[in-house]
Amino acid sequence: MNSLTLIREFLDGRLGVPPDKVVPEATLAALGVDSLMMLELVFEFEDRFGIALAKDLKSPKTVGDMVALMERLRSEKS
Amino acid sequence: MNPRRVAITGLGLVSPFGGDLADFFARLLAGESAIRLLHTDDLPRPLSMPFAGCPGFDAEAALGRPLAGMLDRFAQLGVAAAFAAWDDAGLTRTAQGDEREDWGVVWGTALGGTMAYEKGYRDLWQNGKERLSPLSLIHGLNNAANAQISIQLGLGGVSMSHTVACASSSIAIGEAFRRVRSGEAAVMLAGGSDTPQAYAVARAWEALRVLANADEASAPYCCRPFAADRSGLVLGEGGAALVLEDWDHAVARGAVIHGELAGYGTTCDHSHLVRPAAAGQVRALNAALADAQLTTADIDYVNAHGTATPEGDPVEIDALRSVFGNGAERLAVSATKSLHGHLLGAAGALEAIITVLALREGAIPPTAHLENLDPACAGVDHVTTARHQQPLSAALASSFAFGGSNAVLAFRAVADQP
Repeated sequence: MNSLTLIREFLDGRLGVPPDKVVPEATLAALGVDSLMMLELVFEFEDRFGIALAKDLKSPKTVGDMVALMERLRSEKS
Repeated sequence: MNPRRVAITGLGLVSPFGGDLADFFARLLAGESAIRLLHTDDLPRPLSMPFAGCPGFDAEAALGRPLAGMLDRFAQLGVAAAFAAWDDAGLTRTAQGDEREDWGVVWGTALGGTMAYEKGYRDLWQNGKERLSPLSLIHGLNNAANAQISIQLGLGGVSMSHTVACASSSIAIGEAFRRVRSGEAAVMLAGGSDTPQAYAVARAWEALRVLANADEASAPYCCRPFAADRSGLVLGEGGAALVLEDWDHAVARGAVIHGELAGYGTTCDHSHLVRPAAAGQVRALNAALADAQLTTADIDYVNAHGTATPEGDPVEIDALRSVFGNGAERLAVSATKSLHGHLLGAAGALEAIITVLALREGAIPPTAHLENLDPACAGVDHVTTARHQQPLSAALASSFAFGGSNAVLAFRAVADQP
């Protein structure tokens, strides 16, 4: 699964956000991702790909930032 | 400040029958039981016990997906009941201006987020997980229901939960009542919610040997308060809420007033954790009457705590006989737990709603399945089938908890306003 699909499935399942709204330029806050939901999203990513994010990680602002971060961590791991 | 009269302007619940408030009350009057045999797939041994659940409750439909996902089931049931009461009161979900900055919510729950933590234990100990999701803590907060109600309805005053076992929500209603009566808040939301089907909780009740025995066929009839052939209590889940409002505030905005909350008495037996004492209950009953400026002659109905245990039932009737004296023989009493089970922290709120509806509709729901009265429970007028067209002017609802905490609420019918 690619990172964008994971984010889309997560936002649809948790918040009922239609997948076509989850585009790279959309800000996560505007899609309803608050600090708690961000923790959940990170948790889901870590769980799925067996990657632990640093605790002091700077929160991404947009879906695109989040995808880039996830892709980078996955490529570092592999 | 002069004491305010307290109007009940909103009633809301999650019905075990799946319908609305009117449907719920009609089914109680018809003597229809919501109790069924509950089967689970728990390890190491599934639960199989009579239970009054809310299988038709759709949290996403009631709350929306984002909010439902933030809450454990006890809080989902609670917020759904609060929304229903709020809508019934004709109040908008969103606040306008700062009118609600001193409005508040007082909630009751015996178990709070127990199920959420239980899920965590299962994941860690049974399902091989090494860590829990960040929302686990949010789900487990015991004050999740009251906090989300305040957030969702924009209530800026007190927001808290009381944990007083089976009296939790009666005490919540009583404490909220005092804040409205004193003029501290024009509107308070009060109620309770609980989910006692948590595996270890249900097993612990079982171990205490107070739960009714039943199979699939007998489950609906197995909760028999005051009966010689009772076999114990039946747990239930649910949520129930009332909107309490300064009488003048309610009249000024043209609200429908379902009834008046006139008095509240709470005491402690201060004798034993689980063995009730009539003296403590007598003091609570008398305190509620005095607080409401009512006498025993004014009371037309008592919604009893009546859990169907041999330890509890006779003591409760003993207390009523002491308080009502010669009038006890004519005092209509029913224990509706025979139909909706024991909702622990939500029980008092559910039964308060039933008592308000009884006064409003002039109809008393029965103690179901009471064919063989326990002689130790004789001496009051047990209502065993619904009574309609009753001129009811005032009523009491009792909750007598483990821990010895007692709470009695006194209600007046609107038609009987002095």
